[in-house]
Amino acid sequence: MANHRNNRRGRHKVVKTVLIYLFTIIAVIFFIFPIYWLVATSLKTRAQAFSTPPLFVWEPTFRNFIDIFLKRQTEIEAITGQELELATGAETFFYNSFVVTFSSIIIATVIGVFAAYSFSRYKPAGTNTLMFFILSTRMLPAIVVAIPIYFFYRSLGLYNTYIGLILLYTMFNLPFAVWMMKSFFDEVPRDIEQAALVDGSNPVKVFYKIALPQVLVGLGATIGFLIINVWNEFLFALLLTERATRTVPVMIAGTRGEVGINWGLIAAIETLYILPALVLIFVLQRFLLRGMTFGTVRGAK
Amino acid sequence: MTRVEIRGLKKSFGAVEALRGVNLEVESGALVALLGPTGAGKTTLLKCIAGVEEPDAGDILFDGQSVLRTPAWRRDVAMFFQTYALYPHMSVYDNIAYPLRERKWSRQDIDRSVKAVAEKLRIAHLLDRKDPSTLSGGEMQRVALARTLVRNPKVFLLDEPISNLDAKLREEMRTEFKRLHRELKQTIIYATPDFLEAFAVAEKVAVIKDGVILQYDTPMNLLRRPKNRFVATFIGSPTINIMRGVIRRVAHGWEFSTTGLKIQLSNIGASSKLLDGSEVELAVRPQDIVLEASKNGNAFKAKILAAERLGYETIVTLSLGEVELKAVTKGMRSYKYGDEVTINIPGDRVILFDVSSGEAMY
Repeated sequence: MANHRNNRRGRHKVVKTVLIYLFTIIAVIFFIFPIYWLVATSLKTRAQAFSTPPLFVWEPTFRNFIDIFLKRQTEIEAITGQELELATGAETFFYNSFVVTFSSIIIATVIGVFAAYSFSRYKPAGTNTLMFFILSTRMLPAIVVAIPIYFFYRSLGLYNTYIGLILLYTMFNLPFAVWMMKSFFDEVPRDIEQAALVDGSNPVKVFYKIALPQVLVGLGATIGFLIINVWNEFLFALLLTERATRTVPVMIAGTRGEVGINWGLIAAIETLYILPALVLIFVLQRFLLRGMTFGTVRGAK
Repeated sequence: MTRVEIRGLKKSFGAVEALRGVNLEVESGALVALLGPTGAGKTTLLKCIAGVEEPDAGDILFDGQSVLRTPAWRRDVAMFFQTYALYPHMSVYDNIAYPLRERKWSRQDIDRSVKAVAEKLRIAHLLDRKDPSTLSGGEMQRVALARTLVRNPKVFLLDEPISNLDAKLREEMRTEFKRLHRELKQTIIYATPDFLEAFAVAEKVAVIKDGVILQYDTPMNLLRRPKNRFVATFIGSPTINIMRGVIRRVAHGWEFSTTGLKIQLSNIGASSKLLDGSEVELAVRPQDIVLEASKNGNAFKAKILAAERLGYETIVTLSLGEVELKAVTKGMRSYKYGDEVTINIPGDRVILFDVSSGEAMY
């Protein structure tokens, strides 16, 4: 009897496990497929990309990836005889995207972390008002402020400069940095910092030896979030840059082939463009999974 | 050795007054217990002394010098936090070594001190543990204690240092603290909600409630001559018996009477300012009630309601008409519900409280 019941329970468990895996696999396929299709298209020739029914087996070509970097615009203009904006010499745009993203992230993170820690620990007068004010800068739809900022930048000479984009993205990201980091600092028990004060650390040491290590996981998540914000930004980059400072999303939108739209080429650029983001997410995921360790404190907060 | 003086200390958190004018003098090298229920202000007081909370008013003096302007990291105080406050990103060894590293001790000195204190608290085998959050509650508490005791500060502040240990270890640690105090000869302020613990470790106990120190006295005086009703009820187990009634001047002294009960009071002097016929509360410790007939005048017939046999003593709940009393008697006594006994309330062991103010009247 007992054996029989155990068997049934065992079979039940197997079915459950299979179902869970099946569901997970379907979900993963659902989300991965667009990325697969993107990469696949980047490895197809123009004809293959447009074939119906879609090709699932083909001889991959790296022509698109070579074209992105090697075709010189002038050559093509000479052939076609018309002025085209082409996805050639893409390294400039990638370089621009990297410069703008990393500079603005570093500034926003440093300022954001210090501001968040001050708000969390020292609660200056009007903290709530200030925190709301910081957030309110992100409440208007971007398109509403786009035109004023365009004219503003034009008159200040910030148009088509790295510094202009970096400042703008820093300003964009600061509210997120402050709000996210504040909530992480809020969760660090005060007693731990007070213990360090009594143990002989001055407030500066308490900050970087005690508080900061507690929020590393949160800092990683925040930085990841900010990077994705800037890396993907299109509207302001389109309005405020020209060729010299253009970032990749704008360049993708402006990419055409010699004749019609070359989807293979676009897919190749996009593949390269999402690569850093994928690596980043992979790295941060391991970071985030480590979880938070607030277990050293007795009782629940 | 440092003498600690606290004068009129006040501290509020928003609308909550945590400390409402605390005065306390701790002699140099003394071990004083701060005894009070949760929320009494014990932790706030210790944090003010440590310098991590800033008082709103009042002064804190070490050896006669105000330390209010000395920041926590230069005040040279060691504090055990009730929440342990272990550094979660450091190994057990690094946690204990932290205060010494912050004081720029040499590597050898640090190693020697950490190992010695770990040995003493029996956590030497834990020193290599990377993540303090994986320790058990008792282990965390001892690690935190080691971090407090590893150096030689002016004052030790211990906030409920052994409350989370199991009974056996707690008993050992109480003895350990006495020994430690004898060896270190340091000023120690020890906060606890447990009067037995306070009595066991300290020579003097400050009873604190609602941010005010109600009585600062020896354990014996707290037990025998509490200043008010709260001190009397907070200290002692089972809780002191309290009856409401009226006192009257009789032929030889005073008499307390309540429904169906008249108790001769023999410990009230002639100089007492008691008012004839005034309403009072009479308190008598369960340990003072004698469960035998005796020649003393205050003998009563009582009915047993319940008996808790605790091994060396038995706690008996008695009914005297409308009054219910608890008494403690030695040994394992087997009483049954409804048994009739004669009890004796010694007239020289009772305490009277003013009904409205709760102050003791001697």
